[in-house]
Amino acid sequence: MTVAQTLAVVVTAIEQVTPLIKHFTLAAADGGTLPAFSGGSHIIVVMQGSLRTHRNPYSLLSSPQRLDTYEIGVRRMEESRGGSHFMHDHLKVGSRLEIAHPVNLFGLEKIARKHLLIAGGIGITPFLAQLEDLEGATAPYELHYAVRSPEHAAFLDRLRNRAGERLHLYCDTENQSIDFDGLLSAQPLGTHVYVCGPAGLINRVVDTARRFGWPDSHVHSEKFSAPPVGDAFDVFLARTQISVHVPPDNSLMESIEAAGVEVPYLCRGGVCGFCQTRVIELEGELVHNDHFLSDAEKSGGKRIMPCVSRARCTRLVLDL
Amino acid sequence: MSTIKSKPVYSPLAADVTGRFHLLLGFAEGGGPLLRVLEELEASAPPSGAPERFSRTRVLVAATPLEPFLKRGLARAQHFETADELLAEYRGLLESSVMGTRLYIAGPEHFIGRVMQIALEFNLNTDEIRAEAVGTLARRVHCVHCRAGTENVVTNIVRCSGCGRWLFVRDHYSRRFAAYMGVMVDAEAPGELPPVAEIYP
Repeated sequence: MTVAQTLAVVVTAIEQVTPLIKHFTLAAADGGTLPAFSGGSHIIVVMQGSLRTHRNPYSLLSSPQRLDTYEIGVRRMEESRGGSHFMHDHLKVGSRLEIAHPVNLFGLEKIARKHLLIAGGIGITPFLAQLEDLEGATAPYELHYAVRSPEHAAFLDRLRNRAGERLHLYCDTENQSIDFDGLLSAQPLGTHVYVCGPAGLINRVVDTARRFGWPDSHVHSEKFSAPPVGDAFDVFLARTQISVHVPPDNSLMESIEAAGVEVPYLCRGGVCGFCQTRVIELEGELVHNDHFLSDAEKSGGKRIMPCVSRARCTRLVLDL
Repeated sequence: MSTIKSKPVYSPLAADVTGRFHLLLGFAEGGGPLLRVLEELEASAPPSGAPERFSRTRVLVAATPLEPFLKRGLARAQHFETADELLAEYRGLLESSVMGTRLYIAGPEHFIGRVMQIALEFNLNTDEIRAEAVGTLARRVHCVHCRAGTENVVTNIVRCSGCGRWLFVRDHYSRRFAAYMGVMVDAEAPGELPPVAEIYP
């Protein structure tokens, strides 16, 4: 297993598309073609901040048919550990960044008979690329997009242009809200539902679908977690025989990387399971923040996802 | 035990109460397992939830008596003379069905295969379908040379209904064709056949 190799890119355009969202266009630093991807893919953007290196996942929103540039949308997070603020405040046209190759953990099911896409806020970004994949496909689709207010509805022109009547916009300020029961109670057999956005929206869709008898294989969601802060702790890496201190606002993975040990990763958001690491010894408890391990695995205490999870412990030994 | 991964695996039917609508399809000996599912569904349905759960519970059977299903009363049950007629009605039901539907199939493997083949067109996944094989092990065989199908094959070697070649019946199963693959058995030494035996009674 190898750590994802990075590509050097340069920022070629920045546009403030809503009060909170900036739209970045990136091109390969050597002017070449970027790696191919499918709708729903994300990249990891590596930012060299003054205090730490940020590595944040962002969905690609540009057309998979265009590989001269990648486009991403970045929402400025109120409680940021610095990544989104770095993107918003420090990047200028001409800035250079490192990115990891695209990975798709939120792809469209190619044999679906219908696609039901549900986005909340910045969760619209993977769907922008998927609409390009759906263009010309035979399966029908609907896109339901919920935002705070019209001024927060990012990329609306592009969406209207692509989806036309298939776009349904809901603004909190207009007291419009998605009719989840209506939407999920009568979809034809072979429909797949995809949801991306805040945890509340995802939970609502997943719970409603389950209530109406949808099997898990037809329900797809993606939410990247930022690594939550927590208590400081120390970890001993058994294979490399070193001890690493994890401060409250650094993730376990970041701390291990800062000590010079590479941890394999793809998403850095608790989704993909790639960084899953064996726990050899533990005195205390693990604080699981991922969406990958099952509840049984989490309570078992034998596995941890160092990208987002932490520990409250006096001793932790990992198989790294 | 076959090591070929495409060989379907079946298990005894049980009601899946996470589903909202239930479609039960049976052929010949498949009637028994379906009745068991219907009983389980009735037992699991809370009184208030029963009307909705059974409003779209449908039973489609062929080559098996309908009376035991009619006696249960709650589900709408229909009998068909042939599997083809049953499958035509089933296809129409899938056209109008919604997400939340569960499929229960009971009968010989050749019947299950044809039901699954249509389910695949509607993108039903393994978590929406349950199947229990009962009755004959007779296979549908797809000739890899002329693509003709041969029905009700009970022997290890069979003459193709299309091209007349002698075919070895493999465990390699195609969900899309709903058939096992048949490959010419005497290609290298024409006319030299291994012993033919009835192994799929």
